[in-house]
Amino acid sequence: MNDFKQEPAFDHRWLEALAQWCKKGQEANAGLVDLYLERRLELRLHIRRNAQWIEECRTEGTAVRTRTDLRHEIVAATGTSPKTIAHLLSGPLDTRELHLQRPLPPPDLDAPRGWRNTAEALVEATSLSDATVFLFERRAAIIRPGQWQEIHTPLLIRLQTPIPSSSSLLATWNHAGLTEWAPLVSASPQHKGWQPDSGEQLPVVFTAGTSGVLMHELVGHLLEGDVISNGGSPLDAGEASIVGPPTLFVTDDPTRFDLPGAFSSDDEGVTAEAIPLLEGGIVCGALCDRFTANKLGRTPGRGRRAAWNRAPVPRMSNLVAAPGRTNPEALENDQKRGLVVTRLSGASVDPRSGRVILRVEQGWELRHGRRRRALAPFDLGGDVLGILRLIDPNLGNDPTPDWRLGWCLKAGLTLPTGSEAPTMLVRSLEVV
Amino acid sequence: MNHISDPIERLHRTATSTRDMVIHTQATRWEMFAKASTLREMIFEPAPPLEMSVIHETGVAVRLTGHGEAGFGAASGLETQAARVAVEAAESSLTPLPFDPLPPARLLGCTTVAPSRQLPGPSWATHVAETLTRGVLKASGSTLLIRRLTFQEGTYAWLLATGDGFVASQHDATLSMLVELGLRDGARASHHEWVWVQRPDDFDPEAIAAQICNRAILAGGPLLSRDGLFDILLHPEVGAHLLASLSSLFLPTPEDTDPLTHLLDRNGRLGSDALTLTDDRSAADCPPVAPCDGEGLPTKRHVLLDHGVPRHRLACHFEAQLYGEPTRGGARRFSYRDYPTTGISALRVVPDPGIPPAQLLKDAGKSLYLLRLVGPVITDKANDNFHLRAQGVWLDGGAVEGFQQLVEVSGALSLLLRRTEAVGTDLAWYQTTAGFVEAPTLLVTCQRVGS
Repeated sequence: MNDFKQEPAFDHRWLEALAQWCKKGQEANAGLVDLYLERRLELRLHIRRNAQWIEECRTEGTAVRTRTDLRHEIVAATGTSPKTIAHLLSGPLDTRELHLQRPLPPPDLDAPRGWRNTAEALVEATSLSDATVFLFERRAAIIRPGQWQEIHTPLLIRLQTPIPSSSSLLATWNHAGLTEWAPLVSASPQHKGWQPDSGEQLPVVFTAGTSGVLMHELVGHLLEGDVISNGGSPLDAGEASIVGPPTLFVTDDPTRFDLPGAFSSDDEGVTAEAIPLLEGGIVCGALCDRFTANKLGRTPGRGRRAAWNRAPVPRMSNLVAAPGRTNPEALENDQKRGLVVTRLSGASVDPRSGRVILRVEQGWELRHGRRRRALAPFDLGGDVLGILRLIDPNLGNDPTPDWRLGWCLKAGLTLPTGSEAPTMLVRSLEVV
Repeated sequence: MNHISDPIERLHRTATSTRDMVIHTQATRWEMFAKASTLREMIFEPAPPLEMSVIHETGVAVRLTGHGEAGFGAASGLETQAARVAVEAAESSLTPLPFDPLPPARLLGCTTVAPSRQLPGPSWATHVAETLTRGVLKASGSTLLIRRLTFQEGTYAWLLATGDGFVASQHDATLSMLVELGLRDGARASHHEWVWVQRPDDFDPEAIAAQICNRAILAGGPLLSRDGLFDILLHPEVGAHLLASLSSLFLPTPEDTDPLTHLLDRNGRLGSDALTLTDDRSAADCPPVAPCDGEGLPTKRHVLLDHGVPRHRLACHFEAQLYGEPTRGGARRFSYRDYPTTGISALRVVPDPGIPPAQLLKDAGKSLYLLRLVGPVITDKANDNFHLRAQGVWLDGGAVEGFQQLVEVSGALSLLLRRTEAVGTDLAWYQTTAGFVEAPTLLVTCQRVGS
């Protein structure tokens, strides 16, 4: 699915010239790692009951990374002009020649034709009077000594409501599921619904894409290179450790351009490729940037930057769990007493304690395989390894993308990520 | 970097460029906000390498209005090129709006504020890192060590100009550090302490070392778990995040969804007599000092809660128009890229007179002292409830009985505020998701605690 192409955001001859300068810098032992250029367009359409307004925001910036045994440094500045780049490179490189170069002016980043109508229709489908639609477009280029690469990411749309109890939506522009998901945004949680008792252990069926969020926390974050190299991952008993059922296959796949976390190459210039993380329930991979890959002896490819002024860190792209063969309804029908979760409002994992917390927003009590009372918001929790071991090997045959929790927060920085997973049954989870 | 060497001059040139370009548009009124900032972050760890980042950021935002339309555009950079992009973006986003989003000129003005602060010399961070490392070892009896020390030094300058001739500007510096402490034997999780350095010249690393060790050492006692109704004490950091989560009560909102009315008692009280809250970014001792708010209204001390009674709500001009309220100030810009919105800037608890924290802990009897939050404070104001998860120590007459690694406190939000019976004198600033909050230790009686 990696056939997503956009028009060039930077002059390719200029990028080549920069790559050659960086090569000279490396030869001069200046410790230069890479040069990153980024341009972004963000459009916001605010709809309130008595007013509508639009905000258009165009940003660009450049960052230079240098690395020696004694010092790791990133210096970043607004702009992508030769003048800005020359200032940033003036430490490690002789930039006199750089001032003589003139790149072609880059084309403007433009919103797709009719974006406003699409955004308005999306809000209308929610039946909410107040909402904000964001449109994000990002183009970037990474220059390493002697080589350069443009980075393409999908155009993203985000729908957010100002009502705290209401949901938000993140998807790729023109995703086929948008019309189906938008009306679900306004479905508010049942605050007067039923809540299981704190401390109870119950089987829980994760459906409607919520198992993707579960995998994101249990598998994705805990196999990120920095978490592993800090010694904080409970999954790091070395590759080939069995952590889940033999039917569980989880891959991090940035080439899925229908999901929000896609990219053509990561922000360190590694061409996008799917990385298998669990194969048959066995740990078989990790998500690393170049630094942690080098440290851990793994493959790089997941160095992602939250913005031009941030250093890349290991982050997920799109976490995809392969579907099984079981009818998802059968997973519910088999439960004498349990829960089915249809929507999560958040989730977090603490690598040090190995504890995960899932905030259930919507779902049902299951009695003898039938959905009974609607659930009020509450939390589920448990130990990461314990939960993985308790995933039922019968996985649903319904791979479903999650459209809700794409904005992944790590160390205070958000990035778009995606997930797709089938309905899963965890045989026992603790009500917190 | 010459593009930040004289930021105020460049900001003025950006305003001039904006003015020149707006003339060619259909706009009848305009406003320009430009900002230049540099953030330097240094991370010290016991062994090299030193990690360092330096970020120079500049940008301009333009609001245009006229003929029943309004638009907002923002662009990276300063001066002619950035002003052109921002004006074009604002022009292309012009949309019919039933009110003028720019405040009338008669509301604009500046308050005299303290002179801008200066950053310390280049060796200050190294000196503090060394002294603090020694101080932590001494104060903890060598049981704790600093695993990571992050210094954040920022300088910024901004300028707000309007087509009506109003111009305001400010330049200042901020300095803070994040200390990550760990037990020497590595047995338990790390502790993080954020410290705002108001005056680098008066900064005493040994006193700070003792202060941060006190909290970390408390978390090292024997484990103890209890459930039930107890008096709770909130460490200033926990109190600050709790108050930040309540800040939306003091912001404009549509009348039919206003949660404040549900939370007031029959006497119109929101909190106890001990609770007084102000928002004031004109005070010299607060982290963000400014002569005017994000829309140009003069800054002043807003009393939000006066001995438990709500007195004042913030309302930037745009949101005031949107919700049919009078403009009261409090516009905040998260960055040059963002539209001004109402928000707290420097929320502070006013101890009147306040009780020394040691006495507060001692007098509380059998109580739970919440040391640090584990996750965000969740409040549902419309349904009058809250819950938070934290680490805490059980106290009895000030003596530590045991440490609880994860405790949940939940209940009615209105009762939490009305049962805040005493405030300490140990005020400290914290950076929260809602803005800067200065809070002391708080005593709240009779709260439901669960493990």
